[in-house]
Amino acid sequence: MKRAITFGLSVITLLFGSVSCEEVLEPKPVDILTDDLVLNEPRDVPNVEIGLYSAFRGIVTNAVISGDFTADMFLHNGTFSQYRELGTKRITSANASAAALWSNIYGAVYVANFIFEKLPGVPGVTTSQRNQTMGTAHLLRGLSYFYGLYTFGGIPNVQTISINDNRDIPRASKETILAIILDDFQEAESLLPVEPANAGFVGKDAARAAMARYYLYLQQWQQAENMATAVIASDNYTLEPEFETIVFQDFTDEAIFEIGYNITDDPGTLNNLFKSRREIIPSNQAIVALAADQSGDRFSSIEFRVENLGGSDNGWTVSKYGTADDDNNNVVVFRLAEMFLIRAEARAQQNKVSGVGGAQEDINQLRKRANAPLVASVSQTQMLQLLEDERRMELAFEGHRWYDLVRTGRVNVVMSAFSTNWKPTYDLWPIPQTEIQNNPSLVGQQNPGY
Amino acid sequence: MIRGLLFLFFLHLSNSIFAQDQVASGVVTSVTEPNGLPGVNVVVKGTTKGSITDLDGKFSLEVPRGSILVFSFIGYKPRELTFNGQNNIEIVLEEELKELNEVVVMGYSSVQKRDITGSITSIKTDKFKEISLTGIDQALQGQAAGVQVVQSSGTPGGGISVRIRGSTSIYASNRPLFVVDGIPVETGTLSLRSFGGQDDNALSLINPGDIESIQILKDASAKAMYGSRAANGVVFITTKRGRKASAVINFDVQRGIIDPVKKVELLDSKNLLTLQREAVTNAGQNPDALGLIPGVTDAVNTDWLDEIFRTGIMQQYQLTLKGGDDNTSYYLSGSYRDEEGVQLNNKFERLSGTINLDEKVTKKLTVGSNMSLSRSLNKRVKGDNFLDGVYSGALKSLPYNVPYDENGFLVGPGSPLYASFPNFNPVAQAVLPRFDAITVKILGGLNAVYQFNEQFRMKSQVSLDYNNVTEDQYESSQTAIGGVLDGVGGQGYGVYIMSAITNFVANTTFSYNQTFGGTHNVSGMVGTEVFRNFSRDGSVTGRLFPSDDFTYINSAGIVDQGSSGRLNRGLFSVFGEGKYDYKDRYLASLGMRVDGSSRFGPGNRFGYFPSISGAWRVTEEEFFESKIINDLKLRASAGFTGNEGIPDYQFLGTWGSTLYNGSPGIGPSQLGNPDLKWESTRELNIGADISLLDGRIQATADVYYNKTFDLLYPRPYATTTGFNNVWSNIGELENKGVELGITTVNMDKLVRWTTDINLSKNVNKVIYLADSIPVYRGYQAEGVSATNIVKEGQPLGTFIGLNFLGVDPATGNAIYDDTNGDGQINNNDQIIIGNAQPKWIGGITNKVSYKRFDATAFFQFSYGNKVLNFTKASLVNSGLDITGNQSPEALRRWQKEGDITDVPKYELGNTVNNYHSNRLLEDGSFVRLKNVGVGYNLPNKISERFYLNNLRVYLSATNLWTHTKYSGADPEVSTLSGSTTAQGIDFYTLPQVRTISVGLNATFK
Repeated sequence: MKRAITFGLSVITLLFGSVSCEEVLEPKPVDILTDDLVLNEPRDVPNVEIGLYSAFRGIVTNAVISGDFTADMFLHNGTFSQYRELGTKRITSANASAAALWSNIYGAVYVANFIFEKLPGVPGVTTSQRNQTMGTAHLLRGLSYFYGLYTFGGIPNVQTISINDNRDIPRASKETILAIILDDFQEAESLLPVEPANAGFVGKDAARAAMARYYLYLQQWQQAENMATAVIASDNYTLEPEFETIVFQDFTDEAIFEIGYNITDDPGTLNNLFKSRREIIPSNQAIVALAADQSGDRFSSIEFRVENLGGSDNGWTVSKYGTADDDNNNVVVFRLAEMFLIRAEARAQQNKVSGVGGAQEDINQLRKRANAPLVASVSQTQMLQLLEDERRMELAFEGHRWYDLVRTGRVNVVMSAFSTNWKPTYDLWPIPQTEIQNNPSLVGQQNPGY
Repeated sequence: MIRGLLFLFFLHLSNSIFAQDQVASGVVTSVTEPNGLPGVNVVVKGTTKGSITDLDGKFSLEVPRGSILVFSFIGYKPRELTFNGQNNIEIVLEEELKELNEVVVMGYSSVQKRDITGSITSIKTDKFKEISLTGIDQALQGQAAGVQVVQSSGTPGGGISVRIRGSTSIYASNRPLFVVDGIPVETGTLSLRSFGGQDDNALSLINPGDIESIQILKDASAKAMYGSRAANGVVFITTKRGRKASAVINFDVQRGIIDPVKKVELLDSKNLLTLQREAVTNAGQNPDALGLIPGVTDAVNTDWLDEIFRTGIMQQYQLTLKGGDDNTSYYLSGSYRDEEGVQLNNKFERLSGTINLDEKVTKKLTVGSNMSLSRSLNKRVKGDNFLDGVYSGALKSLPYNVPYDENGFLVGPGSPLYASFPNFNPVAQAVLPRFDAITVKILGGLNAVYQFNEQFRMKSQVSLDYNNVTEDQYESSQTAIGGVLDGVGGQGYGVYIMSAITNFVANTTFSYNQTFGGTHNVSGMVGTEVFRNFSRDGSVTGRLFPSDDFTYINSAGIVDQGSSGRLNRGLFSVFGEGKYDYKDRYLASLGMRVDGSSRFGPGNRFGYFPSISGAWRVTEEEFFESKIINDLKLRASAGFTGNEGIPDYQFLGTWGSTLYNGSPGIGPSQLGNPDLKWESTRELNIGADISLLDGRIQATADVYYNKTFDLLYPRPYATTTGFNNVWSNIGELENKGVELGITTVNMDKLVRWTTDINLSKNVNKVIYLADSIPVYRGYQAEGVSATNIVKEGQPLGTFIGLNFLGVDPATGNAIYDDTNGDGQINNNDQIIIGNAQPKWIGGITNKVSYKRFDATAFFQFSYGNKVLNFTKASLVNSGLDITGNQSPEALRRWQKEGDITDVPKYELGNTVNNYHSNRLLEDGSFVRLKNVGVGYNLPNKISERFYLNNLRVYLSATNLWTHTKYSGADPEVSTLSGSTTAQGIDFYTLPQVRTISVGLNATFK
């Protein structure tokens, strides 16, 4: 009996002695930080800055798809309907690539706005750290809006981290967004350090390069030329002697800013689409352009394998974007060659075509490097056409083609020849259907044609 | 077992019989014990004189001529016989039909069935013991009104969705709480890697052969003591235990063969090539240039389904020993099950052992333990949504390719015969990878009951449910991941994942019961419980192996992906109930459970779940007199139940680690919601239990109305917020329904024929959602962003799509309804096209026994449910792409102007003709002969020759026959296993399997 009671008591002790209510109901979260603990001390600042780069990264990967696949650079060779729609030019508002680009843009904008709201209140942050992080936030937010504006048109202007404000927010005008972008770029240029750690991070030159592109898109030729010149003249960058280096290596000598992936954090998105699955392959038109004489070494952007040939597969593969093990998994945002192209176009538009300080000088820098025939003296119109083609070869698969054709007004001419399904309303992507479903202010605000 | 107990008890009596008069002897049998029913009480009426039957059912006692012998035994109708000196008396006892005195274990206490005021369905093991079942959840299928069980596919050990009275929640768990011997056990998937839609199943670790009984608790009253997590119902399982009796050894063996229920038809090379050439030509391209050349391309005609299917072998063995004496009782069992899937290399193997012990330490203290240990080896294969799946690969692979080359070797990457992306080689995808999931489960508990006196009792229990999964995987360089995808494997791909989930439960209850004045019965119980869950996992990935002879990660050239993590959660609960009845005539009970959950923030942790119920046994009234109605009970209950089945820490806004270019940082992971609280369901139930004609007809009927408040779901946010959603409690939905269960004894003479029918209807509707914004779920499909919607006024599982009006005879293009009249066909023209929830479900079991033979036939049906034949979007794809095979339905396509058909023109790259529409939605109603069984108990003469008490042979078959209009392989499938919002989708989903097995059951004494 005594034994029994002892046993009974020990069971009870076991039940209640060993555990307290708090222990059960308030387990400490593991490997996560609650909101109130983020960005409240100086050592959080670099961590959040990395978080911003990480959020921004998704935009650039998706912009390769929007920039080159909406246009005539790619063919669809796989199973995903989002890419099939881009391949057959029957783009719908259900397109998952559109949804991914949109949500990545606002993911990055959120982190940038978080920094703007919280960083000024964090005590003890050094001025250089503060400037660098604020500058980075401005540049990456500006770039996010830049991609958003030229892909979707006037998009909602999100300036806070207030969830209630931002879940029911209408589209802003194109002008409003442009003003924010310019403001962000200028702010970034003044705050950012001259030399970032490497081209995976942004410095003053990246802000200038962004402005060069901004003015080019707005056809403000003089400013575009000035900004491009500022970057070129900085002497921080030199053209790689071999074009192949651009295809097969990261952090080249001409890299101004590229989003970085390394072996531990590369999800292999583009490699998977272009190489492993070959879901997306170069279009016949792109192959012809890259194989032409004037392309020179830029032919190395693609490769052919006979075993891939068959069915609707032309056997060609995009060479850029290797696996996590390779040295070419970054995605270029700005590199020196683009600055030459921007300046050349700006100069040509200002009728500075040949001779010293002319477009010819700039374009031939790239031709020379690619071991392609140099451009002779040509007319302004001819030069502009040459530059369009040059951009297609030089910046192939870096996400420029569609944006270029739209800004020059050439998109309908070029794309109607490429696909009978092309519609003039494809100068913008659709606002993702899910956004319209979840944001009442966007109802009825869809881009025309979708 | 009760029999054994009585046997020992009456032994004393038989020894004290005086020898006199004439010897009356004979044998007592029953339908289920044709070889003799031991322990039957044989008494001379009006005296204390008597005997009991021995192990062989034989009795012998001396009585005067003319005396009346009464044969009685618990659970059987007593029989009388006037003894006139006859020899070899043969008595067949009939089983008593009244089940009202049966004791039902309900949560923390047990109650006599007659006193139940709630809605409960009991499933006896004899309903499923001879059916080939992997897990206990399968046993519930079609057996109980209000319970819908859908097996996601024919994959052994795969996911099964169980819903009791519909779905009460959108995203919080809809799975019932499974409680085994008082331990809430892990359900759902344990594996940490996706296999394309078909999950593994934690419940498959529990051997159905060890189950004694299953109670399904359905209304608020029955579930009251599990209130906090009982919104989806409770399945209360009790395992077998020993009783006071001499040792009994039972051996059961089952072996059988397994085939898919249906093999879908696909085109042969010749027909496919004609179709593809037409699609290419219609797109204005030259089929020859694309390599589609008659006589060359179609020179090979591979039937890929034949290549990957096999006839599986099932075998199962179980050995049990049970018994006990005055103080100790024991139940020991060991079992082994080995079930081959119908896909090559797919297999589920389980080894399990159970020891349940009870020891009466003193008159007042009893201690007991239950311990079961099981290990399963699940050799998995990919499927469904995965391009490199086996069944999915076989369905879409072109017949132009071959699995083996001319030397008989598997065709792999690098070979000119290899199909490569997106079809690969489905045979190689089955045979080459190693996807071993080894799961170890320990389910154990200790309990102590202390009986203070007649009225007061205390029970304490500590239990553990430990689940450890090791996933040992290697995909060779000849597979899609290991060989084709450079970015992932490139040259072999190895994954090793370990995870352990541990549930601890400790509870103590005090109970009290007393009868006042012989008419007022009062009982009560209070208790407290602590539940803690600890889970940890880790994984590592290796790539670039020297060759396929090296398959473990220590041989990998690059090991660069690894992870580890931990999660803790818990519940703290206090509960109590009080019951009162007056003469068993008026019954009432009150219950309350209060729970604190770590899943909610401060201020919202605790949920309160009361219940009340009452019953009136009309037949106990003095005014009630009927020869027809033996028992009539009217019941009513009301109460609240809860649900907290959401991910942890959702009330907190959090940031997690992120990497950029090799540098670690932090990024936002989720929005917090400090107001997050328990989801609660208000349940109302009215029911009646009736027993007619001496119990030959018994029926139970229930109607219920359950309304769920504070619906937990990730409320979708526009991504302009920086987030996709936040877990919130804004919304309501309802379930209302009727349930009917009838058991009849149609014949009870030489032939005994019984019928069990259950029928139920559940109507589910979402009442409101935050901001009335619908939630879109399911798959993204051609031209639309989702196949499913959760919308106010509609049930869960609602399908959306375009309205397909037919094929334009002039152009061959699909015509869709421009529902918003804007002149364009797009997402905005989607309408609700149907629902996956059935209107009626039910089952009918007929059992016939004649002498030593018995036979069972169990039909199950589902009526009014729609199935989304999403496979058809690929198999009748209007020529969208030419990478996959097509179904013969494609032969009906539009070919020339004037053709009237329902299949659009085939045109390469034309997405519009394949937009997601109700063209893909089909009636999924079915009637299925779920199980048919025949058994024979061998005569004593034969079984005794083998020193056996009983020897039984039986034949059992599952899914033998199905009637359905569904055109796909099987209407009873669901990719996305376990999803509520996107159920009933067939996306390359493996059909159910048909098992035909023979079995042998031997009892030794």
